[in-house]
This record gives sequence, structure tokens and C-alpha cells, in this order.
Amino acid sequence: MRIRTRLVLLTGALQVFSLVLFGGGVMVVLKSAENQKTVAAEELLRHTIARTALDALIQRDQVQLLSYLNFLKGQYPALIYARVSWSREGKTIRHEIGATGTSAAINERQVVVSDPSQPGQAVEVVFGVDRDILRAPFAESRIRSLNILAIVATGTLLFGLLVAIFVSRAMTAPLFALGRLAQEIGTGKLGKRLEWQSDDEFGALVRAFNAMSARLEELDTIKRNFVSSVTHELRSPLGAIESFLSLIREKVAAGAPEGFKQSSDYLERIAINVRRLSGFINDLLDVAKIEKGKMECVLHPIALPAVAQEVCQFFEAKAFQLGVTIENRLSAGPLVMADADRVRQVLVNLVANGLKFTAKGGQIWIAAEQFRDGAARWIEVTVGDTGRGMEESDRVRLFQPFTQGRNVEEGVAGHKGTGLGLYIVKSIIDQHGGKLEVKSAIGQGTQISFSLRVAA
Amino acid sequence: MSTKVLVIDDEEDYRIIIADVLRGAGMEVRLACDGEEGLRMLKENPSEVVLVDWMMPKMDGEKFCRAMRADAALKDIPVLMLTVRQTADEELEALHFGVDDFVVKPFRAAELLARVRAVVRRAQTRAA
Repeated sequence: MRIRTRLVLLTGALQVFSLVLFGGGVMVVLKSAENQKTVAAEELLRHTIARTALDALIQRDQVQLLSYLNFLKGQYPALIYARVSWSREGKTIRHEIGATGTSAAINERQVVVSDPSQPGQAVEVVFGVDRDILRAPFAESRIRSLNILAIVATGTLLFGLLVAIFVSRAMTAPLFALGRLAQEIGTGKLGKRLEWQSDDEFGALVRAFNAMSARLEELDTIKRNFVSSVTHELRSPLGAIESFLSLIREKVAAGAPEGFKQSSDYLERIAINVRRLSGFINDLLDVAKIEKGKMECVLHPIALPAVAQEVCQFFEAKAFQLGVTIENRLSAGPLVMADADRVRQVLVNLVANGLKFTAKGGQIWIAAEQFRDGAARWIEVTVGDTGRGMEESDRVRLFQPFTQGRNVEEGVAGHKGTGLGLYIVKSIIDQHGGKLEVKSAIGQGTQISFSLRVAA
Repeated sequence: MSTKVLVIDDEEDYRIIIADVLRGAGMEVRLACDGEEGLRMLKENPSEVVLVDWMMPKMDGEKFCRAMRADAALKDIPVLMLTVRQTADEELEALHFGVDDFVVKPFRAAELLARVRAVVRRAQTRAA
């Protein structure tokens, strides 16, 4: 059964239950009030008869009493009969008004009055009151009240059900909307949002749902970037290798002597492309390790200046070719706890990145500085460049895989890449327990720093 | 007389490959690394056909084409666009800004030669 129907039915049942309880209570109250009124009416009748009898006794006027009783009988249909016994000096005179009935509802009452100033004088009136007749007007008013109550109750019930339907619709509306949205997302329409503002559980659910939807879209974008960058990054060098191979084949077939020199150049180009391919595949493997949580770093005390020197030497030829200088500003310092291979990888990635964005005549440097954080001593290593720098928006996305600055076409020659490098750098530094920081602004170069703990 | 070709590509590999293929077919090849350099070289000394890469730093293939089509002296030189893009929409867009044909990277030498020759032949027919 749908939640809406269940809510309405539940509310209806609750209402019927409470109305029945309330109605029962009202009925009991009305019934007891009716009984009290009946008794009070009977008492009033008895009181009236007693007063009349006393008056008549004092005035010694039997006729007055009898005619008054007759009048009363006319006024009160409930007064069925009255028997009067008038005693005077041992003699009793009896009168009877109305026929003594036999109905079970008839209640026989007795009133005896005597005059203390005239001993021996007494009047006894026995009268029968039909309680059903006495009760009739009260019962009628009770039934009228109950009818009104029933109408009001039905109205309340209908109104309550309408409110329940309305409220349940309003309450389940976000659920239905979420259901539709989930279905759309299921069919691949990612990044859909639900506009719903409220501070209740639904609001929280919708917020969580929207966050999930955004994350899914983000993952989808990453996936698409991944596919296109992998495709490009694999196809471009492979295509070049293929072309070089077919050119070499032609030259070998032609057998011309100048073809030999060209072929050997082309072999070198092939080697560069193969290195580019294997570097990319290594990056992919590292990312796979990171994603599986298996990027492990074994920390030993190492000397940073030696590692930095190796990296500078590695890039020397490339930097010379690009007209960029690389400077190692690290001097002898304390050993740090780090995985030498991974730190080298970090520096290689950062310097390679700097080279990509630094134009001819620019400079790249590696520097280090000690600082304390409580009891621990740290070394902060910075790789800086005089390149074009980047915008705030790009800085935020820097460490996400498969993203690069958007203004790629305005970049510097040879600016290509997969966007994996900095993601790997971040993961390695995380593994070392260090912090990664980026300072950059358009036209002011970029400085990327990471911290490593000094060996105790 | 050999056909004069200007090749504009930021990737050194492709400059080498294209130059080798076209020179092998007896064409006269000049090379440029980006659109600005290509435009400058073209103004100094016009070529009969231009091969330009789409994705380049500084001035990309599209900007280069628009700049060339805006120049009265260069607007009739046929342009072959080198691209890794392959969607029909993007090719259509490129035809609008004045590209005569496409070569999708990576390409075979025979295809490159055939397309260059076809574009040159069409331009000659038009001129005559």
C-alpha cells in the first residue's frame, strides 16, 4: 500500500477511535444528567403536593386539596393518580383521583403532613408518577444533542480526512520527487538537482541526495576526462611511432645513404615517444594503486639535497633545450623521514610541471626551509617557477586527477599532460603525513611546497 | 615546379613526419611551431597550401584560419586542418571558418599526400 493511503487510513482510524470514545463519554454524561433532571422533577412534584396538602390541612379545606390535585394532574401528565386519606379525630376520609395504573414505570410516592397545633389531624397523599412520561422531554433533548454531536463528528471526520490527504500529499511530495529524480539519474541523466528547502528530515534527505548527485556527476566527468585523456595520451605517441616506423621502412627499402642518418634520428624520436608512453602507463599504475589504497611509502632517514641534485641533473638537458634554468638551492641539512624514490617522483613531477608552464628565459628552483610544529621539526621543500601562474579556480582543482588548467590553448609550447602528476604528488605527500601548499597567481609564477618530518 | 607547402604544428614529431612525407613526394616544405609564426612566414613568402594543426598554444588553428581568411593576399590559399577531433559538428564548424579539408591524426602517409594533392589541384582549377 502506498504511504499516502496508509497515512490517510491511519489518521482516519485514529479519528474514528477518538470520536467514539468522546461520543461514549458525552452519552454517559447526558444520560446521568437526564436521570438527575427526572428525579428533580419528581421531587418538585412531591414538594408541590406536600405544600398544597399542608395548606389545605391548616385551612381544613379538603375541596381545595382535591381540586388542586385535579389541577396538577391536568398540568403534569406524569401524575397518573393520587389517593388522599384525610384523618380527623380517628376518622379517615379517602378520596381517589385518577385510576391506579399497573405500569412498571409508575413509581408510587407518599406524602404525610400533620398540623402540630391540631393533634389528630393528618393528611396522607399517595400518588403515582410515571417516570417515563416525566423523563420524555429530557430524553428528547438528549437525543437532539446526540444528533447534533453525530453531525459535528461526521464533519470533523471528513475535515480530518481531507487534512490528512492534503498533509500526506505535502509530506510525500519530496519522496515522489526524489523517486523520479533517482530514476532519471539511474537512466544516466546525471547532475540533476532537487529544489527543496526545509529544515526537517526531508530537507536533510534532499540535501544528501543533491550532494550524491553532484558527486556522481563529478565522477562521471572524471571518467570522461580519463577516457579522453587516456585515448589522446596513448594515441598521439603511438601514431607518431607508427609514422616513424613506416618512414624508416621506406628509407631502408630505398637504401639511400642519406636515409640512414634520418632513420637513426627517427629511432631516437620513437624512443622518446616510448618513454612518454611508459611514463604515462606508470602514472596510471600509480593512480590505480592510490585508488586501491595501496600506494605505500617506506620511510627511512634520507638526505634531501642529494635527491634534489639528481632531479636537477635529470632535467638539465631538457631545461637547456627549453631555455629555462634549474637551480638547486638546498644546502646540507638534517635528514628527513621519507621514501627516497617517492620523493624523487614528487620532485620530478613538480619540476616537469614547472617546465611545462615556464617560457624561455624563465627559472625553476628547488628550495627548503626548516620549521617547528610543536615538538616536531619539519622541512618544507618548495619548487618554484617564473611561469605564467594560474587562477584561483584552477588552483582548487589542481590535485584532482585528469583535470588541467582550462586555458590550455593559451599555454606554453609543449604544454601537454594527463593531469595525473599532481594527484600522485598529493597522494605521496599524504602518505608521508606532510602538507602540500600552492601559491600562485596569473603572471606571478607558481610555488608548490610540501613538508617532510625531520628524522629524530 | 615543386609545390610549396607550409606546415604549422606545435608537436615536433608531426612536423618531422609531415616534412618527410611531403619532401619525399618532391614538395618544398617550410615548418612553423605556432599560428603566429606561420602567419608571419606566410606573409613574407606565400605558399600554395597550408597544413595547420587545430590544437596549438598561442594562436590555434581556428584563429590562424580566421586571420588568414581576413587577409586579402592570403585568403585564397587552401588550408588543410590537422586534427585529433573527429566529431561531425566540429568538422562542420571548421568548414565555416574556411578549412578546405581535414587530416585526422594519426594518418597514413599515402592519405596525407592524396589530400594535399587534391586540395592543390582544386585550387589550381579554381584559379584557371
